[in-house]
Amino acid sequence: MKKLLFLTLFITTGLFASLRVDTTYSTLGAITKKVGGNLVKVTVLGSSKYDPHFIVPKPSLLAKLHRADLLIMNGGGLELGWLPPLIRGANNSKIQNGAKGFLDISHYIPMIDVPTSVSRGFGDVHAQGNPHYTTDPHMVLIIARAIMEKLLKLDPENEAQYQRNLNSFTKEWQTYLKSFDNKMKMCKDKKVVQYHELFNYFLKRYNYKSYGNIEPLPGIAPSSKHTISLINTIKKNQIKLILQDVYHERKTAKFIASKTGAKVVLIPHDMGAAGSKTLEAYYNTIATNICR
Amino acid sequence: MKKRIILSLLTVSSLYADAQMDAIKEQLEEQKEAMASLNAKLVQLEQKSTNNSASFSQNAYLPDMAFILNMSVVGRNVENSNYNDETTGFAIPGFINSGEAEQPFNANRGFNFNYAEVALHSTVDPYFDAFAIFHISEEGIEVEEAYVTTRSLPYSLKVKAGKFRSAFGRINEKHHHSWMFDEQPIIYKSLFGPDMISDAGVQLQWVAPTDTYIMAGVDAMQGRNNRSFGNMEKNNLYVGYVKTSLDVTDDLSLLSGVSLAHGETDLQKNSDVYGVDLTLREQLGSYSSLIWQSEYLQRNRDTNSVTLTTEKQAGLYSQFVYQYSNNYSTGVMYDRITKNETESLPTTYNTDNLDRYTAMVEYKPFPMSRLRLEASYDRTKVIDGARKDVKTVMLTLNIAAGAHGAHSY
Repeated sequence: MKKLLFLTLFITTGLFASLRVDTTYSTLGAITKKVGGNLVKVTVLGSSKYDPHFIVPKPSLLAKLHRADLLIMNGGGLELGWLPPLIRGANNSKIQNGAKGFLDISHYIPMIDVPTSVSRGFGDVHAQGNPHYTTDPHMVLIIARAIMEKLLKLDPENEAQYQRNLNSFTKEWQTYLKSFDNKMKMCKDKKVVQYHELFNYFLKRYNYKSYGNIEPLPGIAPSSKHTISLINTIKKNQIKLILQDVYHERKTAKFIASKTGAKVVLIPHDMGAAGSKTLEAYYNTIATNICR
Repeated sequence: MKKRIILSLLTVSSLYADAQMDAIKEQLEEQKEAMASLNAKLVQLEQKSTNNSASFSQNAYLPDMAFILNMSVVGRNVENSNYNDETTGFAIPGFINSGEAEQPFNANRGFNFNYAEVALHSTVDPYFDAFAIFHISEEGIEVEEAYVTTRSLPYSLKVKAGKFRSAFGRINEKHHHSWMFDEQPIIYKSLFGPDMISDAGVQLQWVAPTDTYIMAGVDAMQGRNNRSFGNMEKNNLYVGYVKTSLDVTDDLSLLSGVSLAHGETDLQKNSDVYGVDLTLREQLGSYSSLIWQSEYLQRNRDTNSVTLTTEKQAGLYSQFVYQYSNNYSTGVMYDRITKNETESLPTTYNTDNLDRYTAMVEYKPFPMSRLRLEASYDRTKVIDGARKDVKTVMLTLNIAAGAHGAHSY
């Protein structure tokens, strides 16, 4: 009888021991699952179907944030347009900026494209630099380590388990990166244009050069004048690849392709976009579509 | 012969060894240079990381600041003297007497500079956030809202204190520039005026620990709004509400609420306003959606009269907006007074069918600027002692510069 009681107690405490972690985007959620294993319950707030800058602040997200022990965000200004009022409305003291259960991953990332001068006259520029760092598979382990350090602080009792999870994930990911990098070495054509500067981290890692964007300024819809100048750039530099994301309109890219003979390829900006169900599938989809 | 071979071998090998030595020396040189340049960089970095800000500088702690400008050009089939004059202006039968309507927005035929607003937000300390919104018009500066909210209360609670807009209903909390139409819903204008329930007080809100969003709150306020309340002797306005939201599908979400505002009139009689609201939003893409938002409000107000001890008045609005892209959206709104049981109704003209039709087209070159063309056909107004169908067309420009305000649901 006593044994049974202990057992049920053990099971219930085990249930309660699991940390509720909310992440703003899917890639961060997947990495959190790798590090946290079955000690965490992960909820992703922003669907990868949509523009990460413009996640709809549905009130149902308040209920999700309300019960979180930890909020992991991308940072770099990406959530500025939708997350702050949700954090305020969720009445959860644990996840306020500066509280123990708040983690901004961008603080661990060597940010690129940091503007030397900032004005909204240049469109929707991010003062902290380009926030789309998860497109580079080499960032995954930096993110994983940052998450583990945070989990250790919140749940020190399970330190050994988190360490084990991180170690095995690190091994797994290093092997993956080796073969991924080898595959990327086979890619010959390194000239691209993109819609928004979503893929700069990936392009920089694998020595691609981006010659321009379909949007004239960040967050501003394409104009005919800008499109014509981009067509000329593509022709002059013999660019064959137009990187299209899942959430912007596709007409402009198709038009440019028809005028230049370049090919439009669909590149996921986050895990889950373009049908990529796992971390590996996410980066593999980028590689398969970009590598020529 | 053998000797010769050995000798030549020896010289060759020694030559070979010399070459190796040279290569190693070269490598060493290269490494030395690399080290030197690294050292120089390190020194540079160290210099950079020293504090070079001005002594006592506190720039990093400045509040987030945004400023909002709102202006319009209006065409209307009523002369200004008959529309917004303090004695001869329009009336809404049963609700607003001639000339009593406050009209801070788009009152004039021709050009209107409605307001400039300065909004400040700062995290005070680990325990409080502070907000202030200053409304600046030609009449002067007004504190539209200024309040603190708590950050770290336990049990899912949050307290707001200061001067603020009550969370009654769906739009009471929203500022004029964030409404989906420039025209204020008639029932809100009739029961609460243009500023709606905005007053000094304290608010307590609680979020239920459930998977479905349920929020309940109470606002205790001074009750100075003299359209529906206005007992100035003591604080007497209490607003209670429950709001809930469901995701019907990933892209279809629903928000609804019930509210009650209980206060006293300047005659120290009970005045209760009930509200029900429902919003449905279908997301068609990142920048495209359909929004259907409706509210019904009813006021039961006790009077001194013996024949009608409680007057009952109610109305609704329903608006439908289609956001086509991040640049364009369009929408329609219908307003109606549905109940008007009051002794203040004039008998010299017909007071049935008080309603209004509104349509708008909006162009946003960028999320922070907005041009909106709005037309309305208003059958709620009495001008110069008779019912008058008021036709209005206006083009408004709204700018929100500075700190990025978040997009609302």
